[in-house]
Amino acid sequence: MIMFDSIEELLTHIQSVQLDVIELSGDSLLKMSAFMEENSLEIDENISTALQYQDIITQQLTATNEAIESMKKSMAVFTHAYKNDEGLAAESMVKLQEKLSDTLAEARDKKSRFSGKNAPEQADEEIEFF
Amino acid sequence: MPLVIFIDDSETALASTRMVTASMPIEVKQYTEAQVALAEIKAGMTPDLIITDLNMPVMNGFEFLKALRDVPATKRTPTLMLTTEAKAELKQQGKALGLTGWIVKPFNPQQLKQAITRVLRLPA
Repeated sequence: MIMFDSIEELLTHIQSVQLDVIELSGDSLLKMSAFMEENSLEIDENISTALQYQDIITQQLTATNEAIESMKKSMAVFTHAYKNDEGLAAESMVKLQEKLSDTLAEARDKKSRFSGKNAPEQADEEIEFF
Repeated sequence: MPLVIFIDDSETALASTRMVTASMPIEVKQYTEAQVALAEIKAGMTPDLIITDLNMPVMNGFEFLKALRDVPATKRTPTLMLTTEAKAELKQQGKALGLTGWIVKPFNPQQLKQAITRVLRLPA
């Protein structure tokens, strides 16, 4: 399962890059907001939206990182089964495919859920009082 | 001045709400962890309005809301959810827990100000 080892390494690298992007994008916007607050600059809708986009970016990348983590676990289970009993390989491959499909479905759901008003169906969302 | 607390694990979201409300006649406290805000409430802090995120590590917005309603002093404290989520079933869940309203990110600064003004009955 050398191929899976390579994929696992690549996925780990992607996770690492995504975590760096979360940190850098947050840091850059915090620097901007600190400058605005220090200089008593008034916030307008565009700046407010930009600051909130960072939250959406973080949630989206965190969700994909969770999906990657789930993929890695499913691959590890498959590799373990394959190494211990090659006869189980075919069955394990089916289970792996199912797990990956579930992971993809969950990741797509989170992409939609965490988009806020950027999702077309939520663009006109107003504040709702109960 | 009325005390408004914001809870959000995103520091940039907190910066945005802080700047938007800077000119309002309210006192603002902000928390990146709901459990820390809850501990202060249990220790005697009595906010007039709470605006909280939903998806947060350790304690999410619904868990916070449930715990908040168990504290006699905040049983009926107005609470708004400020989140990226907009699913009807989540809103219903929030409503059942005594939520006052639901705001989807990214919010419009004027609308947020109007919502706070309305809930706290501040002069418009």
